[in-house]
Amino acid sequence: MNVLRAVLWKDLLSEWRSRDRLPAMLVFALLTVVVLRFSQPGASLAGNPPGAPGLLWVAYVFAAVLGMNRAFALELENEALAGLALVPVDRGWIFLGKAAANLLLLALAQVTTGLFFEILFDVDLLSVAAPFLGVALLGAVGLTAAGTLFAGISVRTRYREVMLPLLLFPLLVPLLVGAVQATAGLLGEGRAGPAALQLLAVYDGVFLIASFLLFEYVLDE
Amino acid sequence: MGFLLLALTALAGFVILRAPADVVQGVLYKILFVHAPAAFAAYLGFLLTALGGALYLWRNDEKWDRLDVASAEVGLVFCTLNIVTGPIWAKAAWGKPWVWDPRLVVTALLWVTYLAYGLLRSFSEPGARAARFAAVYGIAGVLLIPLNYFAIDLFGGRAQHPENLQRGSLGVGIAGPFLAGTLAMLVAFLYLLMLRLEIQGLRVRRDRVDHENAPEDPA
Repeated sequence: MNVLRAVLWKDLLSEWRSRDRLPAMLVFALLTVVVLRFSQPGASLAGNPPGAPGLLWVAYVFAAVLGMNRAFALELENEALAGLALVPVDRGWIFLGKAAANLLLLALAQVTTGLFFEILFDVDLLSVAAPFLGVALLGAVGLTAAGTLFAGISVRTRYREVMLPLLLFPLLVPLLVGAVQATAGLLGEGRAGPAALQLLAVYDGVFLIASFLLFEYVLDE
Repeated sequence: MGFLLLALTALAGFVILRAPADVVQGVLYKILFVHAPAAFAAYLGFLLTALGGALYLWRNDEKWDRLDVASAEVGLVFCTLNIVTGPIWAKAAWGKPWVWDPRLVVTALLWVTYLAYGLLRSFSEPGARAARFAAVYGIAGVLLIPLNYFAIDLFGGRAQHPENLQRGSLGVGIAGPFLAGTLAMLVAFLYLLMLRLEIQGLRVRRDRVDHENAPEDPA
């Protein structure tokens, strides 16, 4: 638990001092929203357009991948990753610390992007703000649980920035199905369907446990 | 093994030819005897990939890594066969090669996942680390299969695909050929898997020999 807190604190502190990940994630997510707006031309989208939840999650996933690509890149310099691997604790806790830092950054990006999306796409997220934040958080947990594990892999392959989305996207689909359905439910009927929430929760649980256990072999110097 | 495969293929071909034609589709439906068994073989391949990966991480023995590589590749071959035969049938029966159906998308997803697995293999430095990474990804990939079945319930869409593995859904006189097709396909899978394992063993040996004969590093 202490390791989790230490790694989380270290990541947030270095992010605060360098400010290189969050601004990039934010700008990229906003840019994606603007570009996606062009995919739905037409005068009016009023009344929660049907494709909107999917587009919002596309922007979230892009921001998340951009941020997580950098999560381990810093550690490669000065062999800091080897240092982390030498810490005599269960490496699962290091994973959780890393994932928590990614989660926090992603959550910040999600809130900002959501507000921006609300204006550009004329959807009514604010009236369901509290349950939507819950859905967004559930989605973000799954995204960072799977993404942090694969970022640890992709950072040490050739073409590292290319590898993360290639590994991550196919395995994200169940999560995105749940997240998009839940968001669509919130926008349409004001509540998320239980099946979608269940899917999100199961995905989060499965990938948190799997990544906790498998990270041992990813961070193995 | 090769002869067994040949005999089984001949047998399967024979009983499939003898199987009664469908009232509506005629002989068209008979692609089922290749299509579904190919999916079984692909599932088996991906399950073996995860199993090989888990055993490799646990035992740290290179032979399990060979199973990992071989079964993923052979599984991908059968997944491709499945994904190619599907649209051939669908173009004739539905009029369109691809329609929205959860199972179609899930299969496409599996196919892409194991393509990515292959890329991961070729983009990482060969050796223990590549083997570990691939093992981790193979295990994570197999988690996708049950999760995807769960995702199908969200759409409630079983309309396009018949219920799986329900014996009752196979009509009169079809169960026999279906069984023969499945058996032939599984033997074909095992045969290809063995060949692929042999190739991988030879590759590992070649690399070891190359390594021993390499000139001394001047540095």
